[in-house]
This record gives sequence, C-alpha cells and structure tokens, in this order.
Amino acid sequence: MTATTQRFLVRDSLAVVSLTAITAVLFAVTLFLFRSFEAHRASLAKYWAHQGLAALQTNQPANAVTAYRTALSYAPGERNDELMLAEALGEAGRIDESFNYFTGLWESRPGDGLINLEMARLATKQLNTQDAVNFYLAAIDGTWEGDAIERRRATRLELARYLIQQRELVQARTELLIAGGNAPNIPDLDITLGGLLEQANDPSDALTYYQRAVHDRPRDADALAAAGRVAYALGKYPQARNWLDRAVREHPDNGKNSALLAQSERILQLVPAENLPVRERVNRILAARAIAKLRMSGCAAAPKDLTARWAGADATANASALLTDPDRQKAALQLIYDTEIAASQHCGAPTGDDALLLLLARSFAQTEETSHQ
Amino acid sequence: MRCFCCWRDHSRRQRRPAISSNPEPLDSLPVEPQSRQERLFLLLSIFIGVISGLLVVSFRMAIEWLNVLLLGSSIQPHQLNLIFVPALAGIAIAILTRFVFPQVTGSGINQTKTAMYIHNGYISFRTVIGKFLLSALAIGSGYSLGPEDPSLQIGAGVASLVSRRFGLSKARLRLFAPIGAAAGLAAAFNAPISAILFVIEEVIGHWSADVLGSIVLSAISSVVVARWFWGAEPMFRVPAVTLRDPRELAAYAVMGVLGGGAAFVFARSLEYLRPRAQRMRSTLRMMQPATAGLLVGCIGYFGLPQVMGAGYGTIDQAMHAQFAWKMLLLLALFKLIATTLSFSSGTPGGMFAPTLFVGAMLGAGIGSLGKIFLPHLTGSVASYAVVGMGVLFAAFLRAPLTSVFMAMEISGNYSIVVPVILANTIAYLISRALQPTPIFEFLTHQDGLWLPSMEEQREESDLHIEDALQPNSFPVLAGSGTVEEALNLVRQDFSHVIVRCAKGLWYVAEKDEIDVLRTAAAKDEDFRVARLEEKIGPARTPMLFPDLTLSSALPYFHRWPLLPVMNRAKRGALEGTLSLENVLRRYQQE
Repeated sequence: MTATTQRFLVRDSLAVVSLTAITAVLFAVTLFLFRSFEAHRASLAKYWAHQGLAALQTNQPANAVTAYRTALSYAPGERNDELMLAEALGEAGRIDESFNYFTGLWESRPGDGLINLEMARLATKQLNTQDAVNFYLAAIDGTWEGDAIERRRATRLELARYLIQQRELVQARTELLIAGGNAPNIPDLDITLGGLLEQANDPSDALTYYQRAVHDRPRDADALAAAGRVAYALGKYPQARNWLDRAVREHPDNGKNSALLAQSERILQLVPAENLPVRERVNRILAARAIAKLRMSGCAAAPKDLTARWAGADATANASALLTDPDRQKAALQLIYDTEIAASQHCGAPTGDDALLLLLARSFAQTEETSHQ
Repeated sequence: MRCFCCWRDHSRRQRRPAISSNPEPLDSLPVEPQSRQERLFLLLSIFIGVISGLLVVSFRMAIEWLNVLLLGSSIQPHQLNLIFVPALAGIAIAILTRFVFPQVTGSGINQTKTAMYIHNGYISFRTVIGKFLLSALAIGSGYSLGPEDPSLQIGAGVASLVSRRFGLSKARLRLFAPIGAAAGLAAAFNAPISAILFVIEEVIGHWSADVLGSIVLSAISSVVVARWFWGAEPMFRVPAVTLRDPRELAAYAVMGVLGGGAAFVFARSLEYLRPRAQRMRSTLRMMQPATAGLLVGCIGYFGLPQVMGAGYGTIDQAMHAQFAWKMLLLLALFKLIATTLSFSSGTPGGMFAPTLFVGAMLGAGIGSLGKIFLPHLTGSVASYAVVGMGVLFAAFLRAPLTSVFMAMEISGNYSIVVPVILANTIAYLISRALQPTPIFEFLTHQDGLWLPSMEEQREESDLHIEDALQPNSFPVLAGSGTVEEALNLVRQDFSHVIVRCAKGLWYVAEKDEIDVLRTAAAKDEDFRVARLEEKIGPARTPMLFPDLTLSSALPYFHRWPLLPVMNRAKRGALEGTLSLENVLRRYQQE
C-alpha cells in the first residue's frame, strides 16, 4: 500500500465516521421532534373529535361537520371519525355529501356492516327503496365490530320496519321470522317482534312471541296486554280474558285493557261453544237469536232472502226443539251470524252485543272457510 | 487531513461558482486512486439519502407546526388571521429573501438544475437553510405552494455539502446534485420510482447510466427514513379500479382533454404574471410576497380556505367524495389563481402540490359529474381524482413517464394504470400542441438561462447513417486475391476502391495508394502474386451500421475518406457507403 493510498484511507475513514456521527445526531433530534409532533397531532385529533361529538349531542350538526373534518386532518383514516362525519353531514341536511362520503367509505370497505347500514338509511331518505333494501341486506351480511349478532338483528328489524312502512308485508314478515328464529328469549325483543309481526299482518306468529314474553316475564303488563289483544283478535277469547285480566291486575288504571277485558268476558258469556252442556249451549243460542232478531227488525235494508229466513223454522224453533236436534242448533246459529254480517253491511256498524256477535260470526266464517279448504 | 468537524471553514473556502471548466481538483490533493471516488460515490449516495430523508421529515413537521401556530388548528372562512398572517409572513419572507437568503426564491427545481449545469453542483449551505425556513414559513402561513420542490433542492443542497467534504472531482460533484434531488423528492412524496424518474426527466434532462445507481440508492435510503417516521402507507387511499366496461375509458379520455386545457391555462397564467412581476422596481418587488399573501388570504377568508397551503388534506377529502362537483371545480379554479399569485411573487415554494391539487379537484369533479349523468360508471371518485393528478402532472410539468408512476405510487394502486396512461397521454399531447415550451423551461429562459431538458431532446430528431447512406459505386476488391488480379479489375480511373478483408472487415484505398501498388507490381514479380490484403495498410474501417447516429461516423472521416456501412444480420455484406460530403449535405437539409 502506497503512502498516498494510506493517506486517503485514513482521511476518508475519518470523514465517514464524522458523517455517521452527524447523521446519528440528526436522527435523534428528528425523532425527538417527531414524537412531540405526533403527540400534538393526536391530542388535536382527540380534541376536535370531542368537539364534534359535543356538537352532535347539542344538535349542531354543521359545527360537528367542521370539527370532524378537522379531527380527520390530524388523524386521517380514523374510522370512527369518518363515520361520525358522514352522519353529521346527513344530520346537517347535506344528504348528497353524506351519501357521497359514505359511498367513498363503502367503496373502500364494501363489506362493512355499519357503512352499509348508513348507506341504507341515506337511501331511505332519498326515497330509493331498492337501494335501501339492498344496503340493508348487505349490512346484515356485512362485518361488524363488537356484538355482530346483536347488530345484525337490530339491522334486520330496521329493515322489517322499513318494509312495513313501504307496505311490503310479505317480505317484512319473512325478515321478522328470520330475526325471531335466531333470537334468544328476551322478553323485550319478543314484544318488539310480536308488535312488528302484528303490523306485518301476521297476528298468529305475533301471538307466539307475546306468549313467549309472558312466559318469561309473567307480570309484564305490556306483554300481557299485547297477548290478550292479539288473542282476542284471533278469537281466542278464553286466553284473551286470562291475559287481559292479569294485565288489568298489574295496571288497573289502563281503561283500554279493562274495556277489552269486559268485552272478552261478555263474548265468553255469549259464545255457544260446542263443548258446553247442551242446555247451556241452547240457552245461549236462544239469547243470541233474540239479540239478532232485534238487530234485524231495526234493519229495513236487509236482504229479502234473510227476511224470509226469519219467517222460517230456524227463527222460531223453541228450546225443546233445539235441545234434541244439533242440526237445528247449527241452522239457528247460522241465521244469527248471517244476520249480524248482513246488518253490518247494510245497516251500519253494530254496537254492544251485536258487535260481539259479529266478531263471533266472522270468526265462525273464517273457521268454516279454513275447514273447507 | 479533513473532517466534518471543520465543516464551516471548508464550505467557505470552496464556495465559488466554478463556471470555468478547470480540470484541477478543488484542493491540492495528491493523485488519488480512481476506485476511491467510485467507492465513495456509492457510499455517499446512501448518506445523502438518509440525511435528506431526515431533513425532509423535519421540513414537513415544520410546515405543519407553523400552520397550526399561525393559522390555528381548524382553518375556517371568516377568520381574520387568514388575511393578515400570510401578509405579515410575506413581509418577513421578502426581507429575508432580499437581505439574508437571496438564492431561495422559486420552486427549487430550476435552481438545482442550474447548480448542476452551471455551478458544478454547488449549492450553498445558506441556501439550504434559507429554503428550509422560508418555504416552511410560506407554506405554513397559507401560500398556495407545495413542499416537494423545496425538498428536492434541500436534498440537492445536502448532497452538494456532503460531497464537497470529500474533495471529489468536479465531474463527480456535478453528479451529486441530482442524487440529492432524488432523495429529497422521494422522501417528500414517499414515492421513490417517481422521484428517480422526475430527476432524470426534469433535472438531468437525459438518461444517464453513470448516475442511475447512485440516484436509486439515495432515493431508496431517503424513502426508508421517511417511512420509518410517517409509515409505509401511500399518500392517498384509493380503492382498486375495475374497468368492467371499456367504454368507461371514454370518461378518462375526456379528463385527459380537459386536463390538457387546464394545464395550458395554468402555464399561460404564470407566463403572463411572473415576468411582469419580475420587471417591477425592487421596492415594489419587495411588496409582492405580502400582496400575494393578502390576496390568497382573501380567497381563504371569503370562503375557500382549502386553497391555502399545500392542500393534501383537501385532496384527501375530495377523494372521499366530500365535495359536490361544483365545489370541486371552484376549488380547482381558485387554487390555480392562488398558486399563480404565490409563485409569481417570488415566494419560495413548490409547484408539485398545487398541480396535484388542481388535477385532483378537476378529476374528482369530472368523476362526480359523470356519476350523476352516467350512473353505471364503476370508477370511484377517488380513482378519477388520482387520474386527474397524473393528468395535470403530465401536461403542466411535462413529465409524462413520472406522472404515470406517480399516480400509481401515491395511490398504492396499480390497477389504475390503464386509465392513467390513456388520460396522461392525451393531456400531454394537447399540452405540447398548445404550449410548445414546458413551464420549467420557460422559467429558466425567463431567468436568462438555457438548460438542457428531456422535452428539448424529444423535439430533436437524430439523423442516422441510413439517412445519408449512398449505394456503393466504387469497385470492391477481394483482399484474399492477388495484387495482380485486383489491379486488373481496376481498369477505370476510380477515386477509391473498397477492399473486403478477413473477418468481415473492410479497407478503403485512395487512388494514390492504387497507383503505388500498380508501380510496385510492375517492378516486382513477387509483389504481383502476393495477397492484396497483405500489401495494403494494417488499419481497417470502423464497423458502421445504418441505424447508428450520423454523428457517430464523423470522427472517422479524419482517417477514411469513404466509410463502408455493413449489414447487422450478415457480416461482410455491404449496405452502402458514406462520405463526409454526403453527411454534411444531409445535415444541411435539416
């Protein structure tokens, strides 16, 4: 190695060592400043997110939008802030911007349950039914943070409510039955499901959920009243009376329940059930025939064939004749029911016992129809 | 012996623009081994990358700190500080630029290029400090300028500073400027490939294999440092683009057309305002940064604070579809105005970020509008915004290759490449047609400098040998034959003869040589039967092919009056001949 080469080697080594030392010092200083910088940015992001939440809670969505935008400028990509910003935009009435924002979020995370749910809500506001349903369904199938099962069920119930509002009752019922099928026994949830099924024109399944709620919470006045109401509507008067009686006992002040209970009791006094002793059944038929006859006499617009039937044997058969002949009992009952139905059609809505007989008539007709099918 | 502890003294001693091309080393070092410079070159490239990366990280932090400090943590319209802060900052910038840092005006790209081509890569430490401080103050106080171009100059300054310590040759020192520039830009953009390509396209101005390895090393080193601090996430988050229907490319093509037009407007605005601003008296020029700050502040105060500063937050918001299309187009327009004002006033700061901003707003605006009228479009607003950024970059900065890679790197999304290439190409071609001189070149011309550029090279059409090639009209003799046979063939009075020699090589003999051969053959029997190849000179004509540049043939006319041109596929086959007269005539036809 020549002397010149040695000189260069020593010289360069020293220079490289110096350069390394300078780089290390610069790195340490930058790191220190960067940590401080990041901490400051994080605190600013937190502060503005807090301001945004406060603005939303005080119903100042425009301020919330500004605050969340600022928060996101210090913590870009913060999912919660992004969602809150989109919500704030929606609440501020900037539906298009909110929809655009959610669309942007949705495009980056198309499987996110919460984003799909928000998209569905915005689509409902934009009166876009098909998109709303699609987004609701995507939200149900999407990914959720936290209690995914609970969130999916809540979303399905929201979808069902929306479908009911849109009068898509068949689809709403389907969604409700799916939600109910996967649901645990929670009385409040059962009551909600029952209520929605009632709205979806499915009182029978609604009664099932009310019954479940009553079973789990026997002294829940709301569940008892709802079960009694649906049972009454379905013609299940003994059950209706039982539940309504318990509901009234829990809340004696509820006049509506008391009135329905009174009607249930009265209807049970009127109904000529086949399992009654023959004499009792005949007595009830005779009492009902008297009521119907009175209704008929006050209804001049009744069809002529019905008037003719009131002049026949079914209208005049006495107790002994009915006691020995079940066919006559049926014929007399048919006359009573036909009279109440025809009178309600031609002579206005019935009141009192006539209204109760009309209920029995309709229930009987429905049963007959079902048995024929 | 020199070391980095003596930094200041050395920098002073060497701070002289080396305009003359003196081949002497900077100081009186003994003769050094050649391999030393090569080894140091690569090692220093890494150090330059790391230090530039650290400085650029600090630079970005400084901008954001100043922004929060001066304008508050939430910038909203109708805040009075939006007006007076940029104006006051403008006064400070003007004073400091005039009396302390006179070299820091402008974006930094042309200054780096000037350093490389005129000052042997020299950028003073004072300029680096000044660029860092004043650009941070300008951008932080709301001027519509970006941090990338200053980062590029800071990187180049670091490279100049470091390389000078090692006493490298001037040729090497010159090459360090683009190495540092690539490092600075790569760290600022978090995009090493784009930075490398941009430096080649815009700073060096031509493809240079000498420096490519070092540029790559420094760019990668700086990006590693920047990512260590900021994370490896791309600058913008864009969902993957799936082109389900090729007809959607039409929307991107429209964007290319509009982008080309917008770039033209942008360039013309700068071309109009900057020279007029520079022609003013020096006292009035001192007022320009403050006036620009005031006007930009007014734009912010009266409703569009998004145009203030670099605007990356707003680009991100546009990508997340937070603005309606009318707002997006309004932002694009006012950003263009604010940037023209800021840049023309001589305030230090870059053009990259504003260009990207205008492109993103334009792209997002077109994307949003398209989705209203053509709801079947599958591209997201973000993808249109990214393509828009690439479009403006290609058309305004005239860096088409960089623009494609930049769009991919800053979005981390390679699925976007087809729309980007299509739109960028259209925009670039439109811009070239409307505005033959690129903006950076225009700015250097305005400053009285004429530096090489890639665009200049694109305009030039190199002539090739085939353009001046003539069919052979001279006798061709076999070198393996005897002298007598050869002379018998040359009955007529030709000025030259061509001799086919062994291994597919050629020799061209002039008339005098033939006459000498003829005289010798007449006297000597042995000479007549000797092989012709042995009796002509040992030299052979160079191997020239039709596709070589015409200039490559010029050095050989000193020795050969006529040059045979060969076929690349069939060695020894003659394609034609080339004479100096043919070459000159062809050049004169251009």
